[in-house]
Amino acid sequence: MSWKIKALKKSPWVFHVNTGACNNCDIEIVDLLTPRFDVERFGIKLVGSPRHADALLVTGVVTAQAVKRLEEVYKQTPKPCVVFAIGACACQTGIMYGGYHVAGPVDKIIRQIDPGAIIAYVPGCPPKPEAIISGVVKVLSAL
Amino acid sequence: MKVHKIMEQTELTEQLEKIRGKLIAIEQPRPNRLYLSCESENSREIVKFLFEDVGARFCVATAIDADHCFEVLYHFSYDRTGCVISVKAFIRDRNKPSIESVSHFLPAAEWIEREIHDTFGIEFRNHPDMRRLILADDWPQGVYPMRKEGTK
Repeated sequence: MSWKIKALKKSPWVFHVNTGACNNCDIEIVDLLTPRFDVERFGIKLVGSPRHADALLVTGVVTAQAVKRLEEVYKQTPKPCVVFAIGACACQTGIMYGGYHVAGPVDKIIRQIDPGAIIAYVPGCPPKPEAIISGVVKVLSAL
Repeated sequence: MKVHKIMEQTELTEQLEKIRGKLIAIEQPRPNRLYLSCESENSREIVKFLFEDVGARFCVATAIDADHCFEVLYHFSYDRTGCVISVKAFIRDRNKPSIESVSHFLPAAEWIEREIHDTFGIEFRNHPDMRRLILADDWPQGVYPMRKEGTK
């Protein structure tokens, strides 16, 4: 295991990107930080800049307007980083399938600029906080 | 419906008689639902009458592509009885659809008219600020996603 991966797993800092979500997944992410689940006790922390982040929590389908922004955020995140597609829309476009404003699911947009990106999927509408924590644990144990 | 509400509803119907000449039809499928159909030329006066004289509250505007014409619907709530009033304006010209804007006396309608302009391509005459609102910056000019012919 490289020292970079070791450092990543020790205390993953996450940056939250909303690329066109309805806010429901965002509320579940906020739920993670509040006392009931309190992921900060595991060292998982929301940070205000992608340059400080080890992981991106992407919610919502990627709209045409958000493509450039998501790419820019991904480029600014130090590698290696993990991209979490949170919710049905981010994983597979969900209810927005075929919509005129849709550019694609998160993995398609990220793979266009980095084919080797580490992408994790947490489906659900919205996914429960338990599901998000379980997704994070699975990714960190697989790395 | 309670007695005083019925009286107020009757008052409303009496007030609507003043603009009866400008309407094509008044439909009332339920006691607390009213549709006022009109041509697009008269819609501004009817909306102004409902908002300023009747005192109805503006909720939202919507648009429909109805094959042979466009419809712009201004939805009002008459809070004294809970009656929902929709002004249905028909725009017959499909090639250059346009309608008089209501946002001069009804600023709340400004953004929804911009959204309808984006998605249906309906021009709102005398609108103070007809910039693009919801479509992406690189969306092609002259493509309207909510029309029946679609984007495909």
